Amino acid sequence: MGINEILDMLNGILYTTGVFNFEWNVVIMWAVGLLFIYFAIAKKYEPLLLLPIGFGIFIVNFPLVPLMGVEHEHRELLQIFYHYGLEWEVMPCVIFLGLGAMTDFAPLIANPKVLLVGAGAQLGVFVTFTGTILVGFTLKEAASVSIIGGADGPTTIYLTQHLAPHLLGPNALAAYSYMAMVPLIQPFIMKLMTNDEEKKIRMRTLRPVSKREKILFPLVTAAIIALVVPSVIPLVGMFMFGNLMKESGVVARLTDSAQGSMMNIVTIFLGLSVGATMSADNFISWKPLFIFGLGLVDFAVCTVGGILTVKIMNIFLKEKINPLIGSAGVSAVPMAARVSQMEGIKYDKTNHLLMHAIGPNLAGVIGSAAAAGMFLAMFD
Amino acid sequence: MKKYIFLIMAMFLIIPAYSSAEDFLEIPLMPEGKIIKKTDIRLEMKVNTDNDVVIDFYRTALKDMKDIKFREWKNATYIEDDSNRPWHSITISKNGTDETSIVIMKDNWTWIISTLVIRFIGVFAVLLILYLGMSFSGGILSRLFKK
Repeated sequence: MGINEILDMLNGILYTTGVFNFEWNVVIMWAVGLLFIYFAIAKKYEPLLLLPIGFGIFIVNFPLVPLMGVEHEHRELLQIFYHYGLEWEVMPCVIFLGLGAMTDFAPLIANPKVLLVGAGAQLGVFVTFTGTILVGFTLKEAASVSIIGGADGPTTIYLTQHLAPHLLGPNALAAYSYMAMVPLIQPFIMKLMTNDEEKKIRMRTLRPVSKREKILFPLVTAAIIALVVPSVIPLVGMFMFGNLMKESGVVARLTDSAQGSMMNIVTIFLGLSVGATMSADNFISWKPLFIFGLGLVDFAVCTVGGILTVKIMNIFLKEKINPLIGSAGVSAVPMAARVSQMEGIKYDKTNHLLMHAIGPNLAGVIGSAAAAGMFLAMFD
Repeated sequence: MKKYIFLIMAMFLIIPAYSSAEDFLEIPLMPEGKIIKKTDIRLEMKVNTDNDVVIDFYRTALKDMKDIKFREWKNATYIEDDSNRPWHSITISKNGTDETSIVIMKDNWTWIISTLVIRFIGVFAVLLILYLGMSFSGGILSRLFKK
């Protein structure tokens, strides 16, 4: 073997390494990935999702890595998770199944009035839609971006996958980032929109809810959503089925799996595949920047919408509702409800709002799913 | 030299004629159509062909465009743009005769705002129905088990 042949061979080997296919734009994506890993580990912001998403972003942005490609109908590892989990819309629905199995709807059943707060808190979704159109997004993109304000990760992923799959990474990331930042964003708006008297409103202790009511709730909700907004029944149906399993009390093993191991497995694959959609080519453009900017406005307006709805309801109600629980109308369960509790005790140490705020918080989950259904119906 | 001058002049004459092949908001108009009414935001025309021919014409004209939806209504075929093109919709009447009316509408904020308001109210309606459903079923349940 001559020296030239050896050099050719070495050359061939070197060109199969990432080093010789390096492009500078991937460095930006490594930084983005590492930033989210930092948020997850050091700041504990939604670590269950931001850690796998951050790692997905980081690892997929190395040159030549066989992770998100499709060659001769053979899908690479993360592409398999993405294709079967997200393109087939399986993972958001399975996450909802797990969430349903973890959720106790008693605070909402005991005070169903607060369902309207969950609807009012979707205000930002519709306001942001307009803003998103103004900056040049298409109608479908605008719908997928505006649902971020609903602060519901699986719903955002589900709707984006339907309407604008190329925005999946930025939208999911914005949704989970703002959910993690609820304690930073909401208190200022809550303070601004309520006076001292309103902040001290005491709400009557919620009545106990019977097991029968708890069993009936997922059935009634699933039936109504299936009749009125059938396009979101894959999400809400799974949510309610998970809850029915929990409340029935007869399938403890299934409930444990749904809320435990299955949810954990799906969360890993969901996070990795969402992160993996964010290659430098997709991400480095003006749109993700706008998505993050508009997402913040969206989230703030949704918070305003929830508080305003409570204030309007208070005009007609004999027993007033503390407007601090209005902000929990954005989903972000249970973080937004905890913020209501923390803000409440700042003004009256004995006024515990947590259980009252869980009601609008759960209504927000149903409300954001209904808003997503409205958008799906708009384009189907 | 004369030949080149003639060619250049011919190009100047031909190009504008070609580019002025009638369109409205970047949507080609059927050549044999008669414009009934035209404003900046709306064009209404009539053609002496049946609905299927018109739909075929627009299917061909729009085939390379993404995010276009064809909806079949009872009295019309409605073509809607879901991206951000200057036009929003083309409504092609279905009346079973050889005369078809075509209405092209500009993308407009009235439509966007009204659809958003309606859908926001829709979210309230959904949750209100759920509230009523819960109250109703709760009421039945409590009566049943009191007895």
